[in-house]
Amino acid sequence: MKAPLALWAIRVALFAGAVTALAFLPRLLGTFRASQFALVAIYFVALLGLNVLTGYNGQISLGHGAFMAIGGYTTAILMSDQGLELAGHTFASDMRDIYTIPIAGLVAGAAGIAFGIPALRLSGLYLALATFAVAVALPSVLKKAETLTGGSSGINLFGVPRLTGLGVETTVLGHTISFNDWLYYLSWTVAVVLFAAAWLLLQGRFGRALRAIRDSELAAAASGVSLATYKTLAFGISAFYAGVAGSLFAVHTTFVNPDTFPITLSIFLLVGVVVGGLGSLSTLVFGAAFIVFLPDVAQRISKSPGAPAMIYAAVLIAAMFVLPTGVGGLVRRFVSPLTTRLYTRS
Amino acid sequence: MKARLISCVCVTAITVVAGAQARPDRGAADPGVTASTITIGGTVPLTGVAAAYASVGRGADAYFKYVNARGGVNGRKIEYKFLDDAYNPANTVQETRKLVQEEKVFAIFNSLGTEHNLAIRPFLNASKVPQVFAASGATTFGADYKQYPWTIGYLPSYVAEGVIYGKHLLKTRPGARVAVVYQNDDYGKDLIAGLKKGLGSSGKIVAQEGYEVTSTDVSSQISKLKSSGAKILLIAATPAHAIRAYIAVNKIGWKPQIVINQVAAATNTMKIAALSSGKVAEGSISINFLKDPADPRWRNDKGGKLYRQIFKQYGSGDVNDVYNVYAMAAAHTLVGALKRAGKTPTRDGLIKALTTLNETNNPFILPGIKVSTKPNDRFPIKQAQLQQWKQGRWVPFGPILNARG
Repeated sequence: MKAPLALWAIRVALFAGAVTALAFLPRLLGTFRASQFALVAIYFVALLGLNVLTGYNGQISLGHGAFMAIGGYTTAILMSDQGLELAGHTFASDMRDIYTIPIAGLVAGAAGIAFGIPALRLSGLYLALATFAVAVALPSVLKKAETLTGGSSGINLFGVPRLTGLGVETTVLGHTISFNDWLYYLSWTVAVVLFAAAWLLLQGRFGRALRAIRDSELAAAASGVSLATYKTLAFGISAFYAGVAGSLFAVHTTFVNPDTFPITLSIFLLVGVVVGGLGSLSTLVFGAAFIVFLPDVAQRISKSPGAPAMIYAAVLIAAMFVLPTGVGGLVRRFVSPLTTRLYTRS
Repeated sequence: MKARLISCVCVTAITVVAGAQARPDRGAADPGVTASTITIGGTVPLTGVAAAYASVGRGADAYFKYVNARGGVNGRKIEYKFLDDAYNPANTVQETRKLVQEEKVFAIFNSLGTEHNLAIRPFLNASKVPQVFAASGATTFGADYKQYPWTIGYLPSYVAEGVIYGKHLLKTRPGARVAVVYQNDDYGKDLIAGLKKGLGSSGKIVAQEGYEVTSTDVSSQISKLKSSGAKILLIAATPAHAIRAYIAVNKIGWKPQIVINQVAAATNTMKIAALSSGKVAEGSISINFLKDPADPRWRNDKGGKLYRQIFKQYGSGDVNDVYNVYAMAAAHTLVGALKRAGKTPTRDGLIKALTTLNETNNPFILPGIKVSTKPNDRFPIKQAQLQQWKQGRWVPFGPILNARG
């Protein structure tokens, strides 16, 4: 069933409206808020990737923080002076932050495919545990490769020559904007592009194949869908998104060390996907906002011993009671009865 | 006519320019300082693996409230905003940005953790915001002031702490074979480096096993260390992992002399460790420079009483938590420095005051230990005393020792 023209018009209008709102939001926000909303965009990218894997393909990952770490470290190593040698070229802080973003995505994507192949033999909880193991092991690996990663002290990018505006302020198209505003526009541009890409990708044959595998592997295979190809690709794409998010995260934080990508990050990402809605894309923004703002709100309510963690947990439980299918499920429930009327009866 | 118009415009322009210059320069007051307040901020873990350190924020908050109730600093009340970073340096960066850019704090005070303070140091120095009393014993916060003039630490350095243990072991157990379980980061490695230095050539570290902050178990490390045949075990860990180490030692029936680093030697931590590990904890050795609230010596002491009074009025949590005392000691030193940072305190003035400290009467610090700095010496606390865990409490022994560098 093809979507009618009216529905397309609504979609395009919503998308254009959202992009316009995003473009002008920093004017209303303070400079710090802009950096916080940039973080929402970064988590949004990571959640898009995770949802391709978990929401659309049914493979649970408890280790996406590790792919973010790979992306973040790729950017940090390329931008700074870690003495990385590749094909006879020594990288000595000669790559600008924005050029490292696609590279970080590709490196993480390759890691994702590499992990996706053995993961074919695992499913459900076993896959979740295997991915979890990656997230647990990665900090130790990063500490071992001290010459490249800076060990536990990590890599500080603040003031590095190839960081846009040295982390203070920069000039874009003749306008001088603060580093925070720059982060905002950079992150949201990447997020909007990757959102559109994910949407287009999942519309067609590819998305159908992923969903078919999620719903029944046996039926999908019987219909001629190659399980190995699609499942591995889903892992690769998902890791690519996580890598881009990690790269943006490194630029945003101007600092990476093993503790900046803890196991809890992977868990938070899963929480974000569930809150945003498994199997929907645009509503993942709410999942991302949830990850960024809830700890903030929790400690604003109370700082007494144990309180912030308890408030966080209580809100999460409440959210799952009220929105068992996430924000995406809620939107579907209210919007689809309205939009189905746009389809002509046949 | 035209000439008159031009001259008229010129005069107006000159007046405007001159007026702009003659206007009292309001920009002179640094951010965070108003006629009635000084706003400072910092990060501490209120949640997560290191939440035991939350009282480092709460204790300082209590002390500032006490000072405010008595008129504040030169008539200004101190507003202390401490935010949770869950012991994740990425959060430390974000929360610190918030404090500097949104809350417009005058200075960052008492932010906790080695990597966490390293992460924010370039940003704070570029923004010329004082990074006051970074709660970490990493040597770099005191030593690298030429590159980072806006940063100063507080604790005795971890290297110095390691040296004290090494020298003590050398004296009491010559030829000692030492095993170390340590947090696998710069802090753990600093302590080991100090221990090596203190042991010199006669003692020996026969085995060392690191653990990750995020891990929840150290028993495999402990059993490996036991098999090394060492008779002494240094636990270079934060509280939760230190307790696990004690439990693991007891479980496998090992009976080493335990040396526990100062950051995990709070009495309440030790009590839990002792309760859950039989007799293993008895006789443990550590250092201290604070008036431990659990130590009966300070019950009738002026400083001890002051601590209890402030805690009762403004504090929360466990009164015997020594991190409250640590926080109050640092807050006390800061208040003293703020008083000397100018009638309207400036960031520049604060750094000057912080690098000329000479505090001999900090009520929360052991008598005989001075809090002092010079422009070329940025280690405020350079002394400590050894102590031994006996029947549920720490008993100090020996003289006040040098813990420089």
